Amino acid sequence: MFILNPQSGTPIYRQLLEQVRRLVASGRLAPGDELPSVRELAVEHAVNPMTISKAYALLEAEGLLERNRGKPMTVAAQPRSHAALRERLRRLDREAEQLVLAAKQLELAKSDVLDLIDKKWGDEHAASGRQRTGAQ
Amino acid sequence: MPQAVVSARALSKRFAAKDVLHEISVDVEAGDIVGVLGKNGAGKTTLLELLLGFSIPTSGSAEIFGEPSADLSAAAKKRIAFVPQQDELIDLLTGAQQLSLTAAFYEHWDRALIERLSAAWEIPLGRRIQTLSVGERQKLSLLLALGAHPELLVLDEPVASLDPIARRQFITEIVARARGTQRTVLFSSHIVSDLERAANKVWIIKDGRLAWAGDLDALKESVVRLHIHGRRALPGDLRVPDALASRVEGSRATVAAAHWTSERAAAVAARLDADVEVESLALEDIFLELHR
Repeated sequence: MFILNPQSGTPIYRQLLEQVRRLVASGRLAPGDELPSVRELAVEHAVNPMTISKAYALLEAEGLLERNRGKPMTVAAQPRSHAALRERLRRLDREAEQLVLAAKQLELAKSDVLDLIDKKWGDEHAASGRQRTGAQ
Repeated sequence: MPQAVVSARALSKRFAAKDVLHEISVDVEAGDIVGVLGKNGAGKTTLLELLLGFSIPTSGSAEIFGEPSADLSAAAKKRIAFVPQQDELIDLLTGAQQLSLTAAFYEHWDRALIERLSAAWEIPLGRRIQTLSVGERQKLSLLLALGAHPELLVLDEPVASLDPIARRQFITEIVARARGTQRTVLFSSHIVSDLERAANKVWIIKDGRLAWAGDLDALKESVVRLHIHGRRALPGDLRVPDALASRVEGSRATVAAAHWTSERAAAVAARLDADVEVESLALEDIFLELHR
């Protein structure tokens, strides 16, 4: 479920924090989903359990995870607030930047690129709508 | 504050007028897995021996479970297991005989654990110890230490002779046996990647002094390498706070620095009129930077 690299300059607890945040933001971890126990993760990755429990404690404090007495930790219900939306958008930042850069290198018009996104999205209607607007 | 399992105050050791260890003050808290790192001859073994009371300090003091290390009660000794660099196995015994000899010293000997690990680690218990390979002897020594579930496990270079598979099995076992605050481990190792996995705290000994004693996570967050790209030639002395080592070449420089914060990066960038890229470092690189 997680990729933990002990030989990284980023401490293991930070790697885990980032990955859980991303999985929750993307919805791949949904409210109510169970997380592996501290011990399971520590043994599976052969890493110190304290760095795992530190990540879980921080995620609990953030409201992302819930501790359940005698049971695995679960993903907490997430408020779909503006902040959460901004956060999810922020995670596309780099991809968007790369797409725009590639489009400019290919000398494509913005409207053509947006049409392409609409098609990929499966939203042909929006694409043809924009084409009409563009033709005016 | 909970009582430290191991504690040292201003511990010093001199051999033939040479400072081997100089005023080391450290605590091991219950449940810690502490990795001790240092170059050859940095004083790791001497430190472990002083902490365990096998050797008498020139000055300073060491305690285990609140008792003076040099004068531990029999009850305290039963709570400790030590695996020295040079094993203390009896050559003429078979592995199985050695195991039952050691088991007799302890009230709570975990036979199930021994059976499981001796099979998993492929230790030929039926053979005489003198016919075992160095790696097999090391595995047997580790098995003897784990069998009693010691509250304090001290290991001096425990994996030096083990292959990567055996090393990983051992690290997994150390991690799996952690139980809140009940199982404390102190181990020295040259194998930085193992230490990086298993330890939550690290002591780095350099020239007989502690260059770092604290959280591994905090160490990784504290020591960074800066890549500085100046808009013009940089001064020879960059005056980066807590710099460990630096190299300046024209308008570019790399600097390793401790106690790093993002505010510091901004201050350095502004003062030098430069872009500052911050690279976080793995433990091996941190160790190397501390030794430049």
